[in-house]
Amino acid sequence: MFTDYVLLMFTTAPRRAKAVFNVLRGRRTVSTLFAGLTYGCLDLLDGWHGVALDRFLVAADQLVKDELLTAPREGYLQLTPAGVRRQRELRQTRYWPTAWREFQTADVRRFTQVSRLALQVGSEAVHGQSRYYPVTTNPSIQIRVKKWFRPWAASELGPALYASLHAFLASLTVAQAEVFVRSLTGFEHPGQTDQQLATEQKRLPVEMLVMRKDLMCQWVRWLKAHPQDPLWPLLAPLVKTSAVSKSAQQTYAAFLQHGTLSEIATVRHLKLSTVREHLLEVAILTADFPFARLLSDAQCAQLATIFAADPNIADWQFSTAQAQAPDLDFFEFRLYQIMRCQHA
Amino acid sequence: MPKTWTKAELRQLLKRKYGFDQFRPGQLPVIQDLLAGQDVLAVLPTGTGKSLIYQFVGTVLPGIVVVVSPLISLMQDQVARLNYQGEKAVAALTSQVDYGARLRLLGQLNRLKFLFVSPEMLGQPAVLSALRATPISLLVIDEAHCISTWGPDFRPDYRDLGHLRHQLGDPRTLMLTATATEQVQHDIVSLLAVPTAHRVIYSVDRPNIYLSVAQLESEAAKRERLRQLLTTVTGPSIVYFSSKRQTELITDWLQTETTLRVAAYHAGLTAEDRYKVQQQFMAGDLDVICATSAFGMGINKGDIRMVIHYHLPTTLADYVQEIGRAGRDGQQAVAVILYVPGDENLVRNLNALTAATPSEIEQSYQRYQAQPNRTVDSEMERVLTAYWQRGATVAAVTTQFANRQLAKERELQSLLQYVTTKDCRRALLLAHFKEQAPQHTASCCQLPGEPLPVKALGLDRAQDVKLAPPSGWEPTLAKLFLPNS
Ligand SMILES: [Zn+2]
Repeated sequence: MFTDYVLLMFTTAPRRAKAVFNVLRGRRTVSTLFAGLTYGCLDLLDGWHGVALDRFLVAADQLVKDELLTAPREGYLQLTPAGVRRQRELRQTRYWPTAWREFQTADVRRFTQVSRLALQVGSEAVHGQSRYYPVTTNPSIQIRVKKWFRPWAASELGPALYASLHAFLASLTVAQAEVFVRSLTGFEHPGQTDQQLATEQKRLPVEMLVMRKDLMCQWVRWLKAHPQDPLWPLLAPLVKTSAVSKSAQQTYAAFLQHGTLSEIATVRHLKLSTVREHLLEVAILTADFPFARLLSDAQCAQLATIFAADPNIADWQFSTAQAQAPDLDFFEFRLYQIMRCQHA
Repeated sequence: MPKTWTKAELRQLLKRKYGFDQFRPGQLPVIQDLLAGQDVLAVLPTGTGKSLIYQFVGTVLPGIVVVVSPLISLMQDQVARLNYQGEKAVAALTSQVDYGARLRLLGQLNRLKFLFVSPEMLGQPAVLSALRATPISLLVIDEAHCISTWGPDFRPDYRDLGHLRHQLGDPRTLMLTATATEQVQHDIVSLLAVPTAHRVIYSVDRPNIYLSVAQLESEAAKRERLRQLLTTVTGPSIVYFSSKRQTELITDWLQTETTLRVAAYHAGLTAEDRYKVQQQFMAGDLDVICATSAFGMGINKGDIRMVIHYHLPTTLADYVQEIGRAGRDGQQAVAVILYVPGDENLVRNLNALTAATPSEIEQSYQRYQAQPNRTVDSEMERVLTAYWQRGATVAAVTTQFANRQLAKERELQSLLQYVTTKDCRRALLLAHFKEQAPQHTASCCQLPGEPLPVKALGLDRAQDVKLAPPSGWEPTLAKLFLPNS
């Protein structure tokens, strides 16, 4: 059930439910990203892309009704004791993704569509078939695959695809490899639906959905490490250099070159507040942000003292900090929180 | 002067291009009319190969064939089918195609032979102007009866087609539908402003489909009869339901109760799973599909032997369409309605969903007056707003809605007559479409008290094939990508 995966997002400490759901839905506002960082769920960013917020809220309501979650205050949810027990069971049984982080640095969804058609075209060509129903009629995907396919001789493409997929699949568990292969569409092989795969694997359809997305992510990761692979040219244009948005990357590049934030704002023709948002995004999504350029040692020491007794970074209030450090602005406060999360 | 084609030449082309020796009933006269420059309204029953008509004309004439189609999934199926037949210069222009791809497509229209487009997409200025710059060999209005439905089922986009056609320079036009009463035919021709269109009308009768109704006492008895039919009558079969939930419940039940290979099909599936279920069914990997009425519009499977309605269809016209998916190969097939008294209330509930009370209509009008460009959040509001935008009055719309509910109730009564009649069902069905029925015979329909003559019809089910257990991933992968394995 979808609700199982919603329950797995919560702990015994209260979490802001909408923020958690928006992380899963791939909303990239700084406050959502910050929530993802403090809740430790950024790895799942964008994993449930396209699922309406309502669907999450309905699932959460159901979990509250079932007394597995409770709302300590408006908008927050946490596990009940029964929820803790249920979650422990679910952790042992439900399929949990390991590679969803790839959603951040590659267009995995488009690669899913492109590769489905490419493998179908390849498989049919190996068997000399030109009459078949294509898995997608989307013209831009068809054109992409056509271009990729053209230089190949079918007699060479088939064995090359076999070798490539075999090498990748051998790195998975048998169940994962089975699910991957059985869901493919190709010559005399329409492919199994999630429902059918679930029956075969004795799992839930939603787990097959999660697993197949995860397998695509694992495949993307594998292909990135194998740029000689025949399928790499289909993935290459869909890979991003960084999880950070293009415009935040440009701001960051300017930051590395120039001095003050207002200089960057002038150079980039941006509002100062936007420059700050961009830098926060970079700080959240990259590992080596130079915090020291924006936070002095004295500021860090002071904030460390103020919050010495409170290990729960997400709960820190700006007003608490401001009461003792009146010159501190919100940007610096948030940056310090991020730094502490990153270097916890 | 258009070239005049002889029947012999057309047959040769049919053989060469599509590999068929004969045209199916209705195809040849429509093609001849179109090639002679005529607009045509063709009322041809499902299964007559309507798409071959425009494919054929598109092959012969220079320019692009533009097919206006009401459903995105139907368009995608049609594109896939043309791809399958080796026609690559074909595309569907839908809201699902992203903006960049749409622009590229519009920039290369002259490279396309067939373009499928939804009515609302056709109305967009960019699309219209690109098409005006491209020679159009034929404009096809598929499911043309959509233009005539009115009241709550009103499709404002279809209503605009006459105007759009004129903007395209009044190209040669083919209007296709499977079932249309005299009134609907009149609406199509007048709303599209093609008064001189030739009408080619073929019977809705499908003599190779035996018509059966099983009246049962309870839901449990209905399920049991379904199981009995599916396990004794030869497949492949489609079972139609009125809700997505029911397709899933009964699929589960059949999977535990029988050894049949069953899958559910409904609009809630992902595009990928819909594709897979369709293709498994086409490939003979499934015995039964439990579907909502969306299933089957785009698929072309000749050997479906049985269509069962677990719930009542909404009208006799829909029923004729849906059972028309059986026996397209001309071999014997059977259509069964499973009916428990009271089932008609389900249809009434569905009809009520598209009803609006006079005060709801009045309120919608007030909202429109206050804020003409507000965003519309319900389907009903969308329809009503389309009326207000076209200057309709509250009184006129209220009357139309009331009339439509009455008409729906009348349609339901006709359907119930078909279900409960003591006489020949085929005669009753054809009378509804103002047609004469042939003499009732033993292979025509099931009269009350008679058993379903499964054996006499040659439809008794052979032993189930024993399925091999699925092979491991390596052999499957080898079968997919290595030749000779
Ligand atoms: Zn009869």
